[in-house]
Amino acid sequence: MTVHDEPPPRIVAPSAPVLHGLLAEYDDAATLLAAARRVREAGLERWDTFTPFPVHGIDQAMGIRSTVLPWLVFAAGVTGCLVGLLLQYWTNAVDYAWIVSGKPFWSLPANVPIAFALAVLSSALTAFFGMLVLNNLPHPWHPIDLEKRFARSTIDRFFLLIEAADPRFDSVQTRAILDETGPVLVDVVHEDTASPFRTPRAVIHGLVVLLVAALVPFGLLAQARATKSRTPPIHLVRDMDAQPTVKAQQAFPRFADGRGARPAVGGTVAREDQLDEHLTRGTIRGAASRVFPPTVAADRANMGAGRRAFDTYCVPCHGYVGNGDGMVAQRAEALAQGIWVPPTNLNQDHLRRQPVGQLFLSVSDGIRTMPAYGPLVPIEDRWRIIMYVRALQRRSSATIADVPAAERKALE
Amino acid sequence: MAKPKQAGPVTPRPGVPNDDVSFDGLAPGVCRIATSAGVALLAVSVGLGATEGDGFRRFLHSYLVAFMYVLSLGLGALWWVTLQHLVGARWSVVVRRIGELLASSMPALAVLSLPIIASVLLESDRLFPWVDPSFMQSQSALAAKRPYLNPGFFVARWAIYFSFWTALGYWLLRCSLAQDATGGTGPLDGARKVSPLAMIGFAITATCASVDYIMTLDPTWYSTVFGVYYFAGCVIAIHSAMVLIVVFLQHRGRLTRSVTPHHFHDLGKMMFAFTVFWAYIAFSQLLLVWYANLPEETVWYRVRSQGSWFFVAVVLVIGHFGLPFFGLLSRHAKRHRASLSFWAGWLLVLHFVDLYFLIMPTFYPGGVSWRVPDLTTWLGLLALFVADVARRARGRNLVPSRDPRLAESLAFENS
Repeated sequence: MTVHDEPPPRIVAPSAPVLHGLLAEYDDAATLLAAARRVREAGLERWDTFTPFPVHGIDQAMGIRSTVLPWLVFAAGVTGCLVGLLLQYWTNAVDYAWIVSGKPFWSLPANVPIAFALAVLSSALTAFFGMLVLNNLPHPWHPIDLEKRFARSTIDRFFLLIEAADPRFDSVQTRAILDETGPVLVDVVHEDTASPFRTPRAVIHGLVVLLVAALVPFGLLAQARATKSRTPPIHLVRDMDAQPTVKAQQAFPRFADGRGARPAVGGTVAREDQLDEHLTRGTIRGAASRVFPPTVAADRANMGAGRRAFDTYCVPCHGYVGNGDGMVAQRAEALAQGIWVPPTNLNQDHLRRQPVGQLFLSVSDGIRTMPAYGPLVPIEDRWRIIMYVRALQRRSSATIADVPAAERKALE
Repeated sequence: MAKPKQAGPVTPRPGVPNDDVSFDGLAPGVCRIATSAGVALLAVSVGLGATEGDGFRRFLHSYLVAFMYVLSLGLGALWWVTLQHLVGARWSVVVRRIGELLASSMPALAVLSLPIIASVLLESDRLFPWVDPSFMQSQSALAAKRPYLNPGFFVARWAIYFSFWTALGYWLLRCSLAQDATGGTGPLDGARKVSPLAMIGFAITATCASVDYIMTLDPTWYSTVFGVYYFAGCVIAIHSAMVLIVVFLQHRGRLTRSVTPHHFHDLGKMMFAFTVFWAYIAFSQLLLVWYANLPEETVWYRVRSQGSWFFVAVVLVIGHFGLPFFGLLSRHAKRHRASLSFWAGWLLVLHFVDLYFLIMPTFYPGGVSWRVPDLTTWLGLLALFVADVARRARGRNLVPSRDPRLAESLAFENS
């Protein structure tokens, strides 16, 4: 058994030239149009014309059928529009249902611009790449590029090429047809057997390096998703994410005492530092009060106002009945990032027993991760919130005996 | 300057091979039919308006819609001809004269606008509530608008608009007719030089006019895109009207060789483009009002999205955008006279519905209150407008036959 040491020759030696086709050259567009009609009548199929500028009527003369591209673009436009609508439906109404400015989860007017933009984008991309694909582009080399005279097809001459691969091609008859059409010259085009049809090694190496380099970002992404890091994310647009502010109850080393939240300067009288200690601080002679201040009466109007304030400020975290399952809490649980401190369940026994003054102080000054609502909610509303919380606590352990006799009948 | 009158049998002109470009044979018939139809329809409208027993209040509402309709044709033509000169368009030379004849209809439109001006001068609040001084004092927001919204300035603006439009329309026609006599590009230089400034003047006057005659019907409501909205309707209307006019002329043996499917294709493209533009503008207005949700802005849509007005709104979305969008999308639809003239007629009817929807709900917020004069006034004014244009077309070529670019326009290919 013999072993072939030599590799097979990669480059075909310039031997007998292979015919690619016949190239006719014309010096004006009208002659070319007539020639194209003549060639078309002869029943030839694999041929093309080359002109330095768009020639009106060449499509009809060559019998070029209208393309399927408009239908592709239309389909892409419709698809883009529907994808845009579905994307927004799924994100806004299904996956992350969130009320924005009081609009419905899925509001058509808000979706139109994106659906429109996606329709335009996908039809434009389809038109561009569809044109390239349908035209067999890019087509970096062609045998007629070797013809020196063919360069004039971009300047002042008109060319017609009939390929030898055409089933009706006959080197004598086809040439006779071309000669009849009044060309300046008819030339034979050979297949390009001289140029090495091999991609240079350097190009292949370059492509491999580029491919590997292109994988790096994906690798980094995968690593970032699989690992945890204590460094904050990279903010390309720092914007409002990185404001030089101190968050509530955080340390801040620039101050001598290291406290971010500054205590009031000595002698300051705050807006709410009124004479009534019970109303403003929830205490009576320094001890947390177990009763509501006399100015906040336990009536239906105050309870209603308390409910409205509770629904506005407290519900996002504590939930509608105070169980600590508001939408923020649910979302944080779903994200499962491990840094979330769940909101307190307001219906726990120790909170039930806590004096109202103590609850009022927690709301006013904040407690643990909850920020102070004193600056945000008017003082009477804070008391009304406590009143409503008391009602919620009562509700969570209510028995049928708690229902007034008149309504109990209706229930039974 | 005395214009040479074309008379007698049509002689072949350079650049217009064997084509009949004279309107003389048709003009008397068209003028007679259009004038008598217009007068008769208006008489019916006035008669029916009198039977309402409301001091012609209802009639004036119909009349305002009809007038804004014919005004949109005149303004659309004025804009179109100015645009052709501004960009030096060559494809449109064969149809430019039709545009010029339409654009020089402003004196007739000024006469047709007199009932509206009269309602303001007679200090009647039949159309515009701001005519009433006590109404304007009722809200501070309205009191602040008094320097603009008062009868004196309103009539002054009307005089400015119509003088400017009349001067521009006649200037464009005059330059073009002078070229018919002398040939060469020289006579059009005047039109070309005036067109950039004229376009700016047009933008300002047309915007203010649409605000004056439609938006101030509800003086507290405002939309900054309103002028563009009305303009979009004007452009759709003028291209549709030109398609129908050319199809009519070809049916009567005029312009059969001059205007080819290539020109129809371009007119159709403009109809299609501005159908999309109209929807874009109408939606832009809606989206901002919807998002901001401010009471003083939403009231306009609140009225128009309730009861039978909501049905009209749906008709507009589908009929003024959806159907013509798909109907005019294909190049075949734009190149065939039958399909293109169908959509031209369709859009001209829907343009009326659009103006009805802009104007009428302010008067009748409870729902569509349809009356026969709505239709007869519209058709009547349209007939009078046609009669005016036909009268001016008499004795003039339907194409600028000595424009040096005419040969290029005749050979225009639109692939």
